Formats: sequence, structure tokens, C-alpha cells
Amino acid sequence: MNQKTFFQAFRRNKLGMAGLVIVLLIIAIGLAAPLLAKYPKGYGRNIEAPPSQANWMGTDNLGLDVMSEIVWGARTSVYVSAMAVLCAAAIGVPLGLVSGYFKGRVGGFIDSVIEIFMTMPMMPLMIVIAAIAGSSVTNVGIVIGILSWPSLARVTRNATLRTSEMPFIEVSRSLGVSKPKILFKHILLNIIGPVMVNLTLVMATAVLSESGLSFLGLGDPNTWSWGLILKKAWDSGALLKTPNPVWWWLWPSVAITLYVVSFNILGNAINDTLNPKTR
Amino acid sequence: MGKYLIRRVVRGLLTVFVSITFTFFLLRLIPADPVSMMIDPKMSAETVAKMTAQFGLDKPVLTQYFVYLGQLLQGNFGMSFKNRDLVTTLLLQKLPWTLLLLGLSVSLALLIGIPVGIRAAKKRNGAFDRAVNVVTMVGISIFIPFLSFSLLYLFGYLLRILPTGGAYTPPPAKGFAFTVDVLRHAVLPTFTLFIGNCTSIILYTRNSMIEVQKEDYIRTAYAKGWDERYVTRRHALKNAMIPTITATGIMISHLMGGAIMTESIYSWPGIGRQIFDAVSTLDYPVLQGAFLFLSATTVVINILTDLVLAWIDPRVKLGGARA
Repeated sequence: MNQKTFFQAFRRNKLGMAGLVIVLLIIAIGLAAPLLAKYPKGYGRNIEAPPSQANWMGTDNLGLDVMSEIVWGARTSVYVSAMAVLCAAAIGVPLGLVSGYFKGRVGGFIDSVIEIFMTMPMMPLMIVIAAIAGSSVTNVGIVIGILSWPSLARVTRNATLRTSEMPFIEVSRSLGVSKPKILFKHILLNIIGPVMVNLTLVMATAVLSESGLSFLGLGDPNTWSWGLILKKAWDSGALLKTPNPVWWWLWPSVAITLYVVSFNILGNAINDTLNPKTR
Repeated sequence: MGKYLIRRVVRGLLTVFVSITFTFFLLRLIPADPVSMMIDPKMSAETVAKMTAQFGLDKPVLTQYFVYLGQLLQGNFGMSFKNRDLVTTLLLQKLPWTLLLLGLSVSLALLIGIPVGIRAAKKRNGAFDRAVNVVTMVGISIFIPFLSFSLLYLFGYLLRILPTGGAYTPPPAKGFAFTVDVLRHAVLPTFTLFIGNCTSIILYTRNSMIEVQKEDYIRTAYAKGWDERYVTRRHALKNAMIPTITATGIMISHLMGGAIMTESIYSWPGIGRQIFDAVSTLDYPVLQGAFLFLSATTVVINILTDLVLAWIDPRVKLGGARA
């Protein structure tokens, strides 16, 4: 399927378009955060104030505007998930390509490495590595990326296995095209669909992991993120307190869910467009 | 069969060994000093040195590693830095609580997920399937703290009908009252884990059921005049269950140590929370023990999964060859 027909078909998928719009919106909010809101720091006057004209999503226990925190949190989420996807792709795609193309020993070895990594308990490992790497936002992104490459490698490998049997690859091989060129040009361009689908899913899970690490206190304590807002709300007992500052923990949760759902919907929509028969 | 098992066990031991080594050196990379976490500022330099020596932390890392391996061979998993408990005792105390959550949430997930997945696959893109699609989409996207917060807010704060944390009300009651108390405490964490587990069971069952229904032998069965129920039960289900069983195996090994967030939020005294506490206090022996335990259970569960698959699917010859 070429690009033009892909976009024509994709545009007919209303849910997928909605997912795309929300994803783009959140990315735009993240990039434009300095223009949209002042970086929340210090203390405000109204503590745990409910949503009002001045603070649309209320304030936290320091009187800071929850909406500004969420806007700046979007910046962190976008940055961390992009970082994670880049790392995962840098490791997973080449390994998948190589193991799918060279089927013998090399492929088998890489495949068993993928297998081992896929059965590893991710969250405990992520926590330990996050503790080693230290809690800067960039490190968190890299840690998540390093631990999310196996599924990407698996998808790349399976797609490569199928593609490398195709006649045009056979032809390039007999024409003497170099192996790197066959791998990274001919094969990669042909399997970009399934790889893209998996990348959007990695984006989604990366935000879940990042929020989880921040929530557990292993994120960057000096950079606002959705998980950090939730951690602060949780630590101050906001959940079981009367009167309950619902806005404080509800809005960041909604932000996380919206981001993850949109990326998952987007991934599904790309998949449906590429393979209309499977769903 | 016997030969196959021996080979699997040997490979499993190798995996555990690699994981022990990996964890040991990984933990030594943490740029902080575990001794500084154990000591009191009031302690004299002498006491600190004595303590460092007591835990063997004054020796070179490689020596520490071999000492550790030697201890393991004698069945000694080490002593916690934090409260001087034996790691084995500590983990064995936490294990039943993790197993309780795991058992409840996984069996519920299987009980509900498999029938739902089958029904969704029956009429693909029908009304039921589309509803399931929406539910699973939310299920894979859910953030555990969000789900827990909503449940806590609703049942613990607004309705006040369920406890909000811990595994029982201290002091522990006796007999039946204790069981009821524990179960009441387990409701929310179980449900929290159930959502994610059930979602993946539904997805695996649905997708493999759809694949199986395309097979020739299913059409043959219909052609023989058997009705849908019979074909589903007797022919399709067994094959369709294979990915679900594999997924359940992986799910169980992850849950052994993966319920960190759930256990932390509900103050549930399980392995996950123990791992998290050990990371925050740099309690190397506990972490090493926990990771050793996790890799060992993963290996055992993988072997069990293969045995179950071989039992269900006669084509699977243990040892990898397919007839």
C-alpha cells in the first residue's frame, strides 16, 4: 500500500482520526507548555481550592495550579515517551531485522535473547535500573526504552522473516546489493507498517511506565509529570481526606488515560488500515 | 520425556545462574552506599567499619560475588541489611500474600475472560464483540494507580464498605473471622489486578479463536453436521487455548514480583512491596534473593506451561519436534 492510499483509507477510520487528533493535541500542549502556563513552583494562596475561574482544575496542597502542572506534565510525558521509543527502535529494529534475515545461528541466538527478555519481570527490573541510572527525565526515558525493545524486535523479526522470502529481495540479492542496503532499505521500507503499529504501542506503555516510576518516587522529583502529581496527592493522603480534593488526583489520571488510550486507538487504526481483514 | 525434563531443568538452572550474576553486578552499579543507609550518625567509625566487614562489604566486588555463590550453594540466601532477618524467612513471610492476590485475580480472569473471548470471537464485529473491543481497549490503557484511586475513593471513602489498606485488621482475628477479614481486604487489590489480567486473557482467547475457526478441520466438523456448541467445545477450544495458556504462564511469573504498584497502594504485605522497599533502602541481599526467587519461579512456570501444552495438544512432542 502506498502512502496516498494509506492516508485515504486511514481518514475514513473516524475513531483512528480522533485518536490522532488527541495525540497531536497533547504533543502540541507539551511543546507549547512555556507559552500556555507558568511553571508551577513555590506556594500559592489558595490551598486545595476547588476548580474556579482562576484555577480551572483547582489547586494542590501548596496552592499550585493543577492545570499548569498537567500542562507541564504533558511536556514530560511527550519527551519521555519519545525518548523511550527512540531507544527501543534503535535496539529493537536492527536486532529484529538481523535475526529475521540471517535465519541460522545468529537469528536463533538473537531470538532466544528476545525470548529471555520477554519473560523478565519488567517492573522490578525497571525500578532497579531507574535507581541506578538516577532520576533525570532523560534517564527515565532511556531506561524505559532499553526495557521495551523486545516486543518491537519480535514484531520486526516476524515481518522480516516473511519479507525476506519475497522475490524482489531474492532479485536484489542476486544483483549483488549489499546486505545493509537490503536490510535497512528494501526490507525496512516494506515492514514499516507493523513496526509503526508497535511503536505507537510502545509510546502508550512508555507513558504508563513513566507515570508508574514517578508515582513510586523513582522519577525526576524536580520536573512536573502526571505521575509526580499523583504521587504528591497520594503522599498527602488526598484520596481519603474530607473534604476531598478530587480534582487533584482525577485530572492527572484522566490525562494519562487519555494519552494512552489515544495512542492505543491510533495503533489499532493504523493496523486496521494496513490489514483490513484482521481486527 | 525424562530426557526432555532433565534438559529443561539444566537449561533452567543455567538461566537462574545468569540472572543471579546479572542481578549481583547490576546492584553493585547503584551509585549509593548501602552502609550509609544502615548506620546511625551517632555510631563511631569503628562500629561502622565492623558492620561493613560483617556484611562483607569491605572486600572487592568479585570476592563478594564468590562468597555469595558459595553461600547460595549451602542454601544460605543471606541476611537483610535492614533488619538482619534471613532473606529466606523474609520472602517466605511475604509469599503467601502475593500468592493469594495472584490466585484470586488470575482464576477470576480465566473464569470470566475465556467465555467472553470465545463469545466475542463467535460473531466477529458483532455488537458483543464491539463492546468487548471498547472494554479491552480501556483495560490495556488503564493506569494502575488511577484504577486503585477510583476504587478506593468509591468503596473506601464514599461508601465506606471496604478497608483501604493492609491485609487484615490488627490485631489479627482468629479462625473464620480472620479469613473473612483478609478476603474483605483482598477485594480491591484483587479487582485492580483482575482488570489487566482479564483483558489480556480476553484478547488472547478471542484472537486465537478467530484464527482457529478458519481452519479446515473446523469446517469439516461443521460439514459432519455437528452443532456450533459441540464444535466449539470439542474441536476449536483445545487449540484456541494454546496462546491463552502461554499468556497465563507469563502473567503468573510476572505477578510473582510485578504487583509492585498495586501492593504499594493497598499496603499489601507481598513480594512486590518488599522489592520496592528493598530498592529504596539498598537492601542488596533481599533484592538478590527476590530476583533469584523470581527467575526460579519463571523457569518452573515455563516448564509447567510446556507440560500443560503437551498434555492438551498431542501434536506437541516434548523436546520441540512436532509430529
